[in-house]
Order: sequence, then structure tokens, then C-alpha cells
Amino acid sequence: MPWYKAWLDTRWRFLIPLGILVLNIWGLILEYPHVASLLRTVHLEADALSESGVLGRAILESVAAERTYRGYIWFQWFRQNLSQMGTLFAVLLGSGSLLSGSSGGGTMFTLSLPASRNRWLAARAAVGLGESLLLVLIPSLEICLVSRLIGQQYGLADAVVHSVCLFIAGTVFFSLAFLLSTVFTDIWRPLLITCGVAVVLSLCESSLDMNGLFRVMSASTYFAAGSIPWTGLLISVVMSAAMLFGASVNVARRDF
Amino acid sequence: MAETLVIETADLRKDYGGIEAVRGLNLQVPPGSIFALLGRNGAGKTSTIKILLGMSRPTSGRARVFGLAADRPDASVAIRRRTGFVSEEKDLYDLMTVEQIIRFTASFYSGWRTDLEKRYLGSFELPRGRKVKDLSRGMRTKLALLLAFSRGAELLVLDEPTSGLDPAVTEEVLQTLVAHVANQEMTVFLSSHHLTDVDQVADRIAIIDHGRAVVSGALEDLRDGYRRIQLVFDGEAPEPAFHAPGVVHTQRRGRVLMVLCSMGVEQILHEARALNPASVEVMPVTLKEIFLETVNGEN
Repeated sequence: MPWYKAWLDTRWRFLIPLGILVLNIWGLILEYPHVASLLRTVHLEADALSESGVLGRAILESVAAERTYRGYIWFQWFRQNLSQMGTLFAVLLGSGSLLSGSSGGGTMFTLSLPASRNRWLAARAAVGLGESLLLVLIPSLEICLVSRLIGQQYGLADAVVHSVCLFIAGTVFFSLAFLLSTVFTDIWRPLLITCGVAVVLSLCESSLDMNGLFRVMSASTYFAAGSIPWTGLLISVVMSAAMLFGASVNVARRDF
Repeated sequence: MAETLVIETADLRKDYGGIEAVRGLNLQVPPGSIFALLGRNGAGKTSTIKILLGMSRPTSGRARVFGLAADRPDASVAIRRRTGFVSEEKDLYDLMTVEQIIRFTASFYSGWRTDLEKRYLGSFELPRGRKVKDLSRGMRTKLALLLAFSRGAELLVLDEPTSGLDPAVTEEVLQTLVAHVANQEMTVFLSSHHLTDVDQVADRIAIIDHGRAVVSGALEDLRDGYRRIQLVFDGEAPEPAFHAPGVVHTQRRGRVLMVLCSMGVEQILHEARALNPASVEVMPVTLKEIFLETVNGEN
């Protein structure tokens, strides 16, 4: 039962973030009536803002998107909160490989059991990815239910498509942390390096206005035009698979 | 040897970034034996065990367990299916309770011995609901032994099983080990630098130093074969020059010449008497003396 060990190692890294995200949804949705009434009073100088640089364009985009409830949820939740927190939580779940000794100890005991290293690694990756998927899916589905409390509706298809896009793109960060955890024996270096990569990537995307992983995560093309970012998703899957394969090669070669 | 060896290494070498942990180790462990690998800290005992269990790969040479190549991943899984292991650190899963780690380990073995599990849970007085991280070192050792015994293993590999234990727990662990092996058909391969422990339980030993076996054989044969010859001279002891095989070590101190030999005592005595000593005495040797003389002699 390697999956059971993987679950025990990661359960608090899954349950605590899940609790945070589920609570966050309530705050986000109950806040909407106030935001909506506030936005009705806002009149922006669009030309001046678009010429004022990155921040101005961001304000403009935010206000434009949030004039509808669907836009508010997309911008606040899928584009901002869940993209950022989801990335951090995916990195947390990917860090501390089963064999790194950083997750509950017992590496020698693990290796003395009759299971191949690949089996341990596959179980750890599967449990971590499953938890990552649930972390984005459960709060997003919660939106569909809680929205009714304020007399709004949010489509199930929207919630699922955005969650899955976020999950698939987020697996790149999960896999990077997972790969680094087969190189470093502590939990901190994989965590910090991957978070550093995510921050740099995010800054590059926003300042250079380029298409990247975070655009795929937020599925902005789906929000704007109903078009799923297939290419970005495919690249994310390939990158993740390559890093997970690299992790497997690393662990297979490693002496303990 | 007609019977298949449980463990066999031939010219086994392991190099960690230029440091040779194992240097041409040759071992043969017959089935049913309690084989002790004796050596100082850093002699290469744990490195050897890691290679045998597939945790580490040899740089060169051969290591076979149950006739299977230990460095092949698939064979290594098959080896571990038939082997119980207790590591020196007794590093178990801190997050699990005693009950959870037993159930977890049992799930890997179709031949899990529930009868042994119950017996040792009772005799070791292990609290089922307590977290592993809250167990004392002695309790952890007992739990590790329970997990190794209950696998229904044909081979037990114990790396410094009594390390860090007080004398009472050490005695209990060794007694349990001997009683368990007496009741089950199994081979034990243990590493230790505690000579009294080894003397108490092992029937075969190999003394390993700087990564290679310097003495190997049945403990009884070693005890019978090894002798210390003490020669006392009227004046200064002469410079020794023995040609007979079996001289392990000689030491000259004033009027006394000590000769440690591993075999051929009569032939050595014949040469010794030619030196005209005032007295000659032949004494039995303890395992501790064999170990110290061999290891010091190597250095």
C-alpha cells in the first residue's frame, strides 16, 4: 500500500489548504454584492489607464471583467486567488519525495519492503496529483452551490473547465518540485526553488504581456471566447511527464 | 558446497566519490546459519547490507542473495520479499501508530505471520495505539524486530540490532532472536561491533576491515584454530622470523614474544622452540582478541 504512506505524508498539506480554499470561497462570494455596487459607481478613463503601463492595464482589465458575476469569479478566483494559492499548494504537495527522508522518516524501512522504487514514486505522484486536482475542483464546484445564496448562478461547465486547466498547468510546478525532491534530501530547497521559478515566470508574463503558464492556468481564452487552450495544456502535460520521468530516472540511479 | 548459499559476494566493491567503502569483499553465508559481520565503525558493514538489499549499487564485483543478483531491480524486489530487515537507526514511519505500521507492512507480504505478530506484540508489550515517534529506542527496536520476524522471511538482515540499547534490552533482543531462529528455518545475517553479542548468537563470522574480509569462518573453528603462544626469554626476545603458515601477528615486548596464530600451532611451536625460550605457553584466544589482533594487525 504505497499510496497509504503517500497519503499519510501529504494529508495535512492537502487538508489544510483545502480548508483555506473552501473558506475563501465564502468570503469571495459574500463580498460580491458590495463589489458590484461599488463598480457601478466607478467610471474609468480607459485611454489614460491603458497608457499608464502594466498597473493601469490591470485595473482596466479587472474592472471590465468584474462587471458580470461570471467575470468577477473568473478574475478574482481563477485568475488571481486560485492561480496563486493553487501554485503554492501544488508545490507543497510535490515537495518532499517519498524517498527523500523528509516526509515522516523511514527511508531505509521503505526501501526494505518488496516494492520497486518506481512503484513508490508512482504512488506518491498519483496521490499528490489527485490531491492537487481536488484542491482546485472542490472549491470551484462549491462556487456553483454558494452562488445561489446571493441570488447568482455560476455554470458547472465553467467551474470544471477552469479547474481542469488550472490543475493541468499547475502540474508543471508540482512536477518540478517532485523532480527537485529526488535531487535534494530536504523539503525546503525544492519548495523554494520552485516557488522562485513560479514568481519569475509570473513577473515575466505580466510585464512582457506574454502567453505563458499562468495564462493557461486562468484559461483566459476560455473565459473571453469559449476556447480551451489546448496547446498550452498539451505543453504542460508534456513538461510534467518529462519531469516526472526525470524524477523516476533519478531515483532509480540513486544510492541510499 | 552442495547447498545453495543464501548470500554470496565475490570481489564486491563500492566506491563513494573516491572513497572505497567496500574493497573486494568475499562472503559466503550458508543457509540456516547465524552469520555475523564484525567490524569497526566505517568498516563497510552497512554499505555491504545496502548492496545486498538493493538500496545501493556495487561499483564492481558480484552480490547474490538466494542466487539472485542484488543489483538487478526486479531481482532485488524478489530478494526483499523473502527478507526481513532491521536498520541501525530503526527508522520506521514516525507518523504511524504501532498498529498502522504493522498493518501497512503486512499488506506487502502474502505470507505474513499473524501468529508471530500476536506473539511478539504480547511479549514485547508494544502499545498498539502509540505513535512510532513516541516509542523509546528499545521499543522501536522491538517493533522493528516484530516487523522483520512476522514477514515470514527466510533471511533476516540486522544492521547493528543492539546499537544504542541498554544491557537489559540488549539481552532481551538477543534472547528473542536466538529463540526465534531456533523455531523457524531461517538464516540470519547481522552486522555488529559488539563482540559479546556476536559471541552469544553467531555460529559463523567474518571480520571486515577497510571494506574487505580479513577473517572468515565458523566461530567454533576460529576459536579452536586460533591460539596465542607466549614465549619468555632469559634476555631480550629475538626478532621473530616464522616461516610456518598461520602466524597472524607477533609482538615483541622486552623478554616476551607473543605470537597469534590461526592454525598450525604445532609447526609454529617447533619453530619457536628453536629460538630457545625459557618458557613456552599456548593459550586459547577469545573472539575479542581475534578481532582486535586482526584489525590492529591490518593497520
